Amino acid sequence: MTRYLSFAVIKFRSKMAYRFDYVLGILDTLLAFVVYWSIYKALYAGAGEVDGVTFSMVTTSFLISLGLSAAFHKNEMFLQDKIKQGTIANELLKQVNFKLRMLFEDMGEGAFHVVFNFLPTAVIASFFAELKAPSGAVNVLLCLVSVILGYIVLWEISFIVQSWSFTLFSVWGLITIKNVLVNILAGAYIPMWFMPDWLRNVIRWTPFDAIYFTPVQLYLGELAGIEIAFHFARQICWIIVLGAVGEYFWRSGLKKLVVQGG
Amino acid sequence: MQTMQTMQTAKNIIEVNNLCKTFKIHKRATGFKGALKDIFHPTYERKKAVDNVSFSIHEGEMVGFIGPNGAGKSTTVKMLSGILYPDSGDIKVAGYIPYKQRKEYVANIGVVFGQKYQISWDLSPLDSFEVIRHIYRIPPKMYKENLERYTELLDMGGFIHQPVRQLSLGQRMRADIAAALLHSPKIVFFDEPTIGIDVVGKDKIRKFIRTLNQTDNITMIFTTHDMQDIEKTCERLIIIDDGKKLYDGSLETVKKGYGSSRIIEAEFESLPVSLDLPHAVVSDVENNALKKLIAFSTDEVGVNEVMTALMNTRNIKDVSIREPEIDAIIRDIYEGKIVMNGGGCHI
Amino acid sequence: MRDILSLFFAYAKSGLKSRFQYKLDAIVTTFAVFLREAGGIIAMYLALLKFDTINDWNIDELLFLFSLIFITYGIFIVFFMALRDFSDWIKHGDFDRVMLRPRGLLTQLVLCGADWLAALGHGTLGIVLFVISASRVGIQWNPAMAVYYIIAVISGVLIQGAIFLFFSSISFYVVETGSLKEIFYWNMRKFAIYPLSIYNRVIQSVLIFVVPFAFVNYFPAQFFLRKADMAAYPEWLMYISPVVGVMLYLLAYSFWRFSLRFYKSTGN
Repeated sequence: MTRYLSFAVIKFRSKMAYRFDYVLGILDTLLAFVVYWSIYKALYAGAGEVDGVTFSMVTTSFLISLGLSAAFHKNEMFLQDKIKQGTIANELLKQVNFKLRMLFEDMGEGAFHVVFNFLPTAVIASFFAELKAPSGAVNVLLCLVSVILGYIVLWEISFIVQSWSFTLFSVWGLITIKNVLVNILAGAYIPMWFMPDWLRNVIRWTPFDAIYFTPVQLYLGELAGIEIAFHFARQICWIIVLGAVGEYFWRSGLKKLVVQGG
Repeated sequence: MQTMQTMQTAKNIIEVNNLCKTFKIHKRATGFKGALKDIFHPTYERKKAVDNVSFSIHEGEMVGFIGPNGAGKSTTVKMLSGILYPDSGDIKVAGYIPYKQRKEYVANIGVVFGQKYQISWDLSPLDSFEVIRHIYRIPPKMYKENLERYTELLDMGGFIHQPVRQLSLGQRMRADIAAALLHSPKIVFFDEPTIGIDVVGKDKIRKFIRTLNQTDNITMIFTTHDMQDIEKTCERLIIIDDGKKLYDGSLETVKKGYGSSRIIEAEFESLPVSLDLPHAVVSDVENNALKKLIAFSTDEVGVNEVMTALMNTRNIKDVSIREPEIDAIIRDIYEGKIVMNGGGCHI
Repeated sequence: MRDILSLFFAYAKSGLKSRFQYKLDAIVTTFAVFLREAGGIIAMYLALLKFDTINDWNIDELLFLFSLIFITYGIFIVFFMALRDFSDWIKHGDFDRVMLRPRGLLTQLVLCGADWLAALGHGTLGIVLFVISASRVGIQWNPAMAVYYIIAVISGVLIQGAIFLFFSSISFYVVETGSLKEIFYWNMRKFAIYPLSIYNRVIQSVLIFVVPFAFVNYFPAQFFLRKADMAAYPEWLMYISPVVGVMLYLLAYSFWRFSLRFYKSTGN
């Protein structure tokens, strides 16, 4: 386990080498927040609440979404690059589980973006934006658990798309399309509260609201008792299903690689 | 000598006088503090890439520019081809001042970079040629004639319709050379034209370059690391090191100038070895105490004398005489072991 | 002119041919660009289903505003892609080749570097937005209006072209300009998509005076829509986009001419 953890640490450190990127990353995250904040400030136009949702709930949900996006930062061209460069065969010979290593490197990268991009942004934002404090220590804890589960769900989706690198010339297009779907349907672009009912009902059957919206709801204390258990159960179900699909694609991809003599 | 130079000026296609170019190199500081300091007080180092270089080249000449990495040969060639502004000095090529009259001038030259192709990776050579035809406004008749001729001479018929990514390195290079010649340039610059190519491929390219020079009287300038390129194509050599011109003259002279030196490799039967050779330098061979290298100049001592001295030890197992190779000569020139300071305009 | 056109088509033909070596990838990439750019618009559309208007702009008027950003970018990418990625051209030594060819430097860069797939993605989106919104925002379309729309589009392309011509000129002094582009173009563009009036004064000033994106979409759109929030700015700002475009481009062009002599070809 320590070996895998060291992959994460190395990745974290290597990101630290580009110092100017810190400033740039903070600016990038902060500006994204300012855009959303300005849009919703104008949309609310002084109204106290819309459908029972206050402006501060909206800004808080955006800030959490940005934090999650930072945590979810990863190198999605990793598998394709390894296959294109033909180094995948060597990688597989190493005494390391390839997928686990990928996961931990991505976590290292995510941790970097949380620490150096998101946290400073959150501090700056707290000076000018209306934010809500978490509704309790237990909620923060529950929120963190669901963030981890959500992370795994998203990582598995990304892995499935990346595993198409075995077949396609480039997966850039697919990854971009996937990210658009995630950002809209998971509520990173628009809070789930404001989605039309029919769309919310559709999203309920997808893994997407387990990624961004469940942590937001837990932080704000919008869920209680049995609902929380239900949400966690759903996240775990998706982890199992998507994990199995990813493993299937991965194995059939490897088979193809062997047949072609990679 | 004066008269000789004036006579040549009439035919000179390239004239370079007192050319200088200095680069400012940003010295990066290390560490976080250093990086911060770097933003506000960057430190620069000045490096004279080309330092007061002069030469002239006649029409139809083939000249090799050699020198170690960073010697300034690329910078010189880039100024000749109009890519870089010189700091001072004059350049005149084919009647143009390259950096001032770039657009008119470059229609007269072709440039081949061995490590940077101009033909596109995902297209066939023919597709790339078609674009080049438009860029250079090549008249249809000239384009057709050149294309047919180069296809034959460079043996491109088999791959001219295939995407470049599927071609071998040698095929790619041949196609790229053709691309640089489609507009019938008067002068062609080759920058490392055979780098990474196999022996057969190199040979094809060199043969083509020789043929073209003889039939079309094209002036050709090479920069290369590969001495074989020079030996097989050029008659004249310009050696540059540390921004300065070290040598400018015929390849033959270099060989001859150093031709008086000899090295004898002697293997002895048993130890100890005692040699009494006042005019020769005796050195050891690694890992073999029985072998010695004996270097001398035939101007000072005859081969006969050395051989006799060796035979007199009555301890000789084997003897061989080495002639110096051009690579070795050049290396010695860089390292300052040989000083080229002969009188004439070339040496 | 015919000569320039034939060169443009020769470049375009070879560019498209090499992209269509991988047909499926080309189609997926184009669609992905389209969808990525549409993402923010879809989110805005969904939000306005709930809120109806933003600073009194309804969804059709917003789509009209968006159309200018996407159409201008779609055209921009056809002519200015080489300048957008110019620091890469210098780093990889591709600019050397440009200098070795008997054509104007900008002529070559402008004609050769089109990313047709991205252009198709952005351009199609822009046109779709325009078609959806143009008849529903109460504009009395007549030839003069149509001509001004075209002029506004050209001005928008010129403004963005000028911004990148500035960055390209800076590449002659410092090789790495990625961060500058990120801050002054991409981040500003995120703001510029939405109505200028929703931002605070500082951001508005930046978008008017520093990186004048406001003249790419907001002010030209106001010329057609005359929304109430225009009252906060002098009225003549609606008319000067073409002037801003031409002036900015000329300024950038003289900076480019001046900076050329500082080009240091990346040696071996």
